[in-house]
Amino acid sequence: MLQSLVAGFSSEAQEVCQKVTLDLLELEREGLDIEALSKVYTRLARHLHTLKGSAASLGLQDLSSIAHKLEDALAPLRKDIKPMPRPMVDMLLHGLDLFMLRAQAHAEGRGESLPDPTAALAQLVADAPPPEEAAGGTAAGAAPAHAPAPSAAPMQAAASQAAASMAEEDTGDAGWRVAAHQVTALMREVERLREFRMRLEDRLRDVSKAVELLTARELLAPTARARAVLASVTAGVRSDGHEASDIVDSLEEGLKSITTRPVRTILEPLQRMVRDLSRQLGKQARLSVVGAEVSLDRRLLEKLKGAMVHLLRNAVDHGIEMPDERERAGKHHEGALTLRVEQQGNILILELSDDGRGIDVVVVRASAERKGLITADEGSRMHEAQVRDLIFRPGFSTRTDVTDTSGRGVGLDAVRSAVESMQGRIEVVSTKGSGTRFMLTVPMELGSSPVLTVRTIDSQVGLPMLAVESTQLATPENLRIGRMKTQLDYNGQLVPVVDLGARLGLRASAPPSEGQPLIIVQSGGKRMALAVDAVVGDRDLVIRPLPAEVRDVPSYQGAAILSRGELLLILRPGWVVADSTPQTVAMPQSRRALVVDDSLTARALHRAMLEAGGFTVHLAASGARAMERLQTETYDVIICDLEMEEMNGTELVAKLRSQPGTREIPVILVSANDSAGARSRGLSAGADGFLSKRECAAGRLLSEVLDVMSRRGARA
Amino acid sequence: MTSTTHGPEEVQDQEVRTLLEERASRLRGRSDGSADETMLMVAEFPLGEERYAIPLESLRAALPLRLVTPVPLSQPHVIGVLRYQGQVLAALSLAALLGGHGWRQDPAVLLVVERGDGELCALDCEAIPRPLSLPTASVEAARTHVEGPVTEILLSSNRQIIHLIDLPRLFARGAGARNAG
Repeated sequence: MLQSLVAGFSSEAQEVCQKVTLDLLELEREGLDIEALSKVYTRLARHLHTLKGSAASLGLQDLSSIAHKLEDALAPLRKDIKPMPRPMVDMLLHGLDLFMLRAQAHAEGRGESLPDPTAALAQLVADAPPPEEAAGGTAAGAAPAHAPAPSAAPMQAAASQAAASMAEEDTGDAGWRVAAHQVTALMREVERLREFRMRLEDRLRDVSKAVELLTARELLAPTARARAVLASVTAGVRSDGHEASDIVDSLEEGLKSITTRPVRTILEPLQRMVRDLSRQLGKQARLSVVGAEVSLDRRLLEKLKGAMVHLLRNAVDHGIEMPDERERAGKHHEGALTLRVEQQGNILILELSDDGRGIDVVVVRASAERKGLITADEGSRMHEAQVRDLIFRPGFSTRTDVTDTSGRGVGLDAVRSAVESMQGRIEVVSTKGSGTRFMLTVPMELGSSPVLTVRTIDSQVGLPMLAVESTQLATPENLRIGRMKTQLDYNGQLVPVVDLGARLGLRASAPPSEGQPLIIVQSGGKRMALAVDAVVGDRDLVIRPLPAEVRDVPSYQGAAILSRGELLLILRPGWVVADSTPQTVAMPQSRRALVVDDSLTARALHRAMLEAGGFTVHLAASGARAMERLQTETYDVIICDLEMEEMNGTELVAKLRSQPGTREIPVILVSANDSAGARSRGLSAGADGFLSKRECAAGRLLSEVLDVMSRRGARA
Repeated sequence: MTSTTHGPEEVQDQEVRTLLEERASRLRGRSDGSADETMLMVAEFPLGEERYAIPLESLRAALPLRLVTPVPLSQPHVIGVLRYQGQVLAALSLAALLGGHGWRQDPAVLLVVERGDGELCALDCEAIPRPLSLPTASVEAARTHVEGPVTEILLSSNRQIIHLIDLPRLFARGAGARNAG
């Protein structure tokens, strides 16, 4: 017997067993009509028969016998269709486990050392309820439960059929064994090809611009021939570009189909686990799955499987109440667990919710104190979300005893570690008495996804197209502008409007002006109209994960590399639709500073210094941007670079001093030029202070800021 | 290092002269029988009024500071993100990370370094660093007295202090490192 055939059989049997498991869980359910039940019974019998025939064809008599016993047990139940009694489901599931364990052992070449299955089979049969009981008492006098072994003829037929299917697999599509890194490397090359294709598009635009320059009146005649050649070359390159795009798409699709598999392949066994665990604990629970067809990187799936097992065990053990307790609380006796899988751009969202008792923060706080994870003082200063977060700490458990399921303090910390090792995040929300929801977001590294690029002020950001419902322009008719909020009348529903620039802390919040583009973004059942300054366009982009230093900024899910090497930050739709107070009013009680500098590094450093000194800091990259911010915001001090391209520091100071609203704001000019002339020019323009970069380096910035503020205050 | 009001070119000339003198001094030293002394190669650069260095083995590249995309709502020490060899890296303000206050001129260079945990990041810097060798024994001796990420090494040749940055320690400090000092 070829070992490869046995290995193939084992993997095929695993799939069939998964289907049988799902059928058994279905048969156990209440509420299915006779017709539906009958269909499931028929399918189940067919699957068991396939298992028996395939095993026999390979000479695996032990497996064939097990499948035969399972068929025997099922037979009386098919005569009088009704939901399958739980003990019978237990017995059949146990039989399947036995089958799979032995199939696995055969596949690994350990078949010879397996114990005789007779004892296990006898136990299995002994565990089964009598046929008449299993069939609800109506099967009395029906066919004997233990039918004779199948005759040689049908066995041989089944065997030849299975052998043929195995042979087909062996010769027709044997496949290759490829290391994951080889496939990943190939995908990286495809991603580079896509970026190269994008650069090609930009180069073509450059050529078109050059041709346009040659159409100036005085150049028209002498360049006619050259322009004709360029036009022809451009058309040729454009056509090649389209072909390259098709090739890239096809390569990417091909590689994705190799590297991914549907989420359902890990979810179906989880449904069985939930059922078994809740039975073991005397509870009733059912797992429903939404979005199981989403296909994911196989390696990611393997890692997620462990996290899902932990979360589900945790939900059944801690979340779902006993049936009588649930009924007393006005809930259905069967607990509902829902797993929702959604892909948004390069982000995978897994949401596991239960309708159990929820997280009791008082109990969590007390347990954390008892286990020494926090002190009583720390606990008293924590708000609810922080207390809930304690469940992810190593060593945390609310159990005082150790059971098979929990109490060892190992679980959610392992889940968080696993999710973080995938560069993902895990969050929990819970309402006492109503349930708990865990949300995992994990970046998916491979492949491209469509992105809509938008602009706010002078920053461009991307939005995963999957989250973009539509785009429209703001009009007086479709907006409802209130004192506290603005809403958009969208298909008869009022959708909150938020300004992207304000959400990013780049400017003060204001209602959209007429004609301003509004992007309707949806995520997790919520909608938001995002006001942007311009819609740039949409493109298929490779979204890469963000580095550790910015991974925790909730606004972004990644960054895409554009044609000239610059990066486009991709917004996280969940963040866009979340309710939030605009960043600009985050700390109304603190002193506010505006840093105006065209150097990114200088802005970053001044911000760090001032925030360390207790200031709320806003940034502007030019004098013009500073003036824009000053139209809607007030500041206690402005720190401004002297040498800027668009409008230099002295010009900005002069402008500030000429306007009544900004005349009194203290301004400090900062310059790399330490000369007396520069200092004198700055101060005579109306600046309150002047610091050289050297003086800043010596730590004078904060003291100078406080000094000029106090001098202005005294004068006022 | 003493501060004078020389123009940038004069300062550069002076720095070149100092560098050549140091090299000559090292070569002279070797002939005196110190050739066996193990040295730590570092990349040395100015930060404000002080001289800093990172082990050369941590340095992956020195790039011009351009094409950095700002990241609104990020931590103050984050300048932005940039592309480096197909990866997305964070560009960080070294002065902010070290709790410093500024520099003599706006940084024009990014140093791509290995953080010590396998990840890369970029640190801003006023000028392209210069290679320098420090006696390993002096470095180890100085490190025994230090718990933070910066060790002060006194160069015997010119009595100059070099602040040697231990990158794994700097990044392990995480948020605690920011705004310190």
